[in-house]
Amino acid sequence: MSEAGSTQPAERRLSLLVTVLAFALPVIFVLVPLAIFLGYSFFSVDQGTIVYGLSLGNYVRFFTDPVFLPVFWNTIVLCVSVAIICILLAYPAAYFLTTLKGRWRYALLMLLLVPLLMSYVIKIYAIRSILGLNGFLNKALVALGILQEPSTLFVFNMNAILLTLTLLLIPFAILPIFLSLERIPQVLLRASDDLGASGLQTFLRITLPLSLPGVASAASFVFVLAIGDFLTPQMVGGISGFTFGRILYSQFGTAYNWPFGAALSVALAIVVIAAILVGERFGRNRGTSV
Amino acid sequence: MGLKKLFLRMATIGLGIGLMTSAALAANLRVLAWDGYADADWVKDFTAATGIGVDVVFIGSDDEIWAKIKGSEGQDFDVFAVNTAQLQRYIKADLVSPIDVTKLANQKEVLPRFRDLTAVSGVTKDGKVYGIPFCFDSIGLIYDTDKVKPAPTSMSVLWDPAYKGKVLAYDNGEHNFSFTALTLGYKDPFNLNEEQMAAVKAKLVELKRNVLSFYTTADEAQQIYQNNDVALIWANYGQQQVKALQKIGAHVAYVNPSEGALAWLDNWVISKGVRDNAAAEKWIDFMLSKKVSGELSERTGFGNTVTETGSAGGNDKLVWLNNVEDPLKRSDMWNEVKATP
Repeated sequence: MSEAGSTQPAERRLSLLVTVLAFALPVIFVLVPLAIFLGYSFFSVDQGTIVYGLSLGNYVRFFTDPVFLPVFWNTIVLCVSVAIICILLAYPAAYFLTTLKGRWRYALLMLLLVPLLMSYVIKIYAIRSILGLNGFLNKALVALGILQEPSTLFVFNMNAILLTLTLLLIPFAILPIFLSLERIPQVLLRASDDLGASGLQTFLRITLPLSLPGVASAASFVFVLAIGDFLTPQMVGGISGFTFGRILYSQFGTAYNWPFGAALSVALAIVVIAAILVGERFGRNRGTSV
Repeated sequence: MGLKKLFLRMATIGLGIGLMTSAALAANLRVLAWDGYADADWVKDFTAATGIGVDVVFIGSDDEIWAKIKGSEGQDFDVFAVNTAQLQRYIKADLVSPIDVTKLANQKEVLPRFRDLTAVSGVTKDGKVYGIPFCFDSIGLIYDTDKVKPAPTSMSVLWDPAYKGKVLAYDNGEHNFSFTALTLGYKDPFNLNEEQMAAVKAKLVELKRNVLSFYTTADEAQQIYQNNDVALIWANYGQQQVKALQKIGAHVAYVNPSEGALAWLDNWVISKGVRDNAAAEKWIDFMLSKKVSGELSERTGFGNTVTETGSAGGNDKLVWLNNVEDPLKRSDMWNEVKATP
């Protein structure tokens, strides 16, 4: 690899190589695995070995077995709820950030994003301790006189999954909303003020509509991350918090039924892609109308 | 221009490092084991004694072992630990190699009941030995001595409404069907007919209503125990779990249920894709030494096959785990139990 060896044709070959690599990487690492997944969903399993014959059996089972569709639907409702709660909490936080001046704004933003640097599993463990019967939340509520005695409302059920996912995913909601709020030109707000609009009117008719693209992408972000998560439901969901992610996971570990797991993943992928498309569509329309 | 050169140089260096590490890994023995079977100090002693480096990967469930070994057709590991019930599945799928017992000097010194391997159900096939037993324990019941009075003698206590929301169960369809079958008094908990399956499933839905959560690892159960009001734990990790709980000051005791406790017997096996058979044999022989076996029991509370231990007393009725009739069906039915509102 001597430096004198890099002549003109060699350089051209190199740039060609870089171009090919740029296209090859997404194809090899994203498209091909997805295609393999789709292919697997048409196979079946017999006595612990995969039968490589094409059939629609897995999809028929998904739609006809009484177990899967209700859990699938409940999971979607759960993740939409998580997205809504995240938005409701993240919007005021992001709005508050944009009212700050100079370095405080970014220092606080960084602080809000610090949890992303921590291990996901450790965060779940910590949250589970907080939510438990002898945990911090129950102790605080009892000490404040809000509860008579510790409650099992917060752990090992759907509430626990909702709370935990919301806590874990809030940073992903704050960031896009903050960015869209920050992009709103200050002159618009000042013009509104000059024309005699009240603070509330300015917010409702200028700030809010212009920040909706950020809200849309935040919502689709949170929804997609929540619906793909199996670990949180597994660890805090207990007996009633059974989600689609847990069924999907069990097909790979416990059952060794990769083809059926692949079919379930395809169903999940369709919902995820739809959520991303909706989020993007909504975001872009509003964005270009400025 | 300068960037491209830098890029190329970095690629060359990267390739060099990649080749070096893969060369280093090639010489190492690849071990797949449960936590507690390949402690760092033993690995260090083994490497010091034999000059063979070891890479250990820890797993958390039987299904994970199967997925890892079956997924790579045995090519990713040299030696792994698996229980007698599971072993036949691996033999049938041609994922393990027969073991030459004469190469294992320490196998001659094991406890009498493990000396004749043909008498240990599940470790041989067609006269060939595929697994070397080294460790066993029962899957009993842990109860909080302050909360559960009188001391329970049967798993049926898990269904007692007095302990609603205070029961920790294990997240595994196969075992849950087996122990519930024992509780219902079925003779062969590993081969259930349709009718029995339906009865067990109904019973498990009832159990679920009494349960706080399903756990997967011993650490997880312990953490849940510390932060919640738990009275009974279906102890998949037996003595290991009891010891860990007692260490943190929990008032707990352990009982093997009178209807019979499921019990596992773990074996070292050599995978089909073994790179160095002699190194694998040395590892197994090392694990069967009096020192390592004794320390294993000391640290985990499990019984071992080399020295006598107090685990699972002589009068306890142990039901050695066996292959179940249809693992996939049990797994699907377990999902149905969990999905029942």
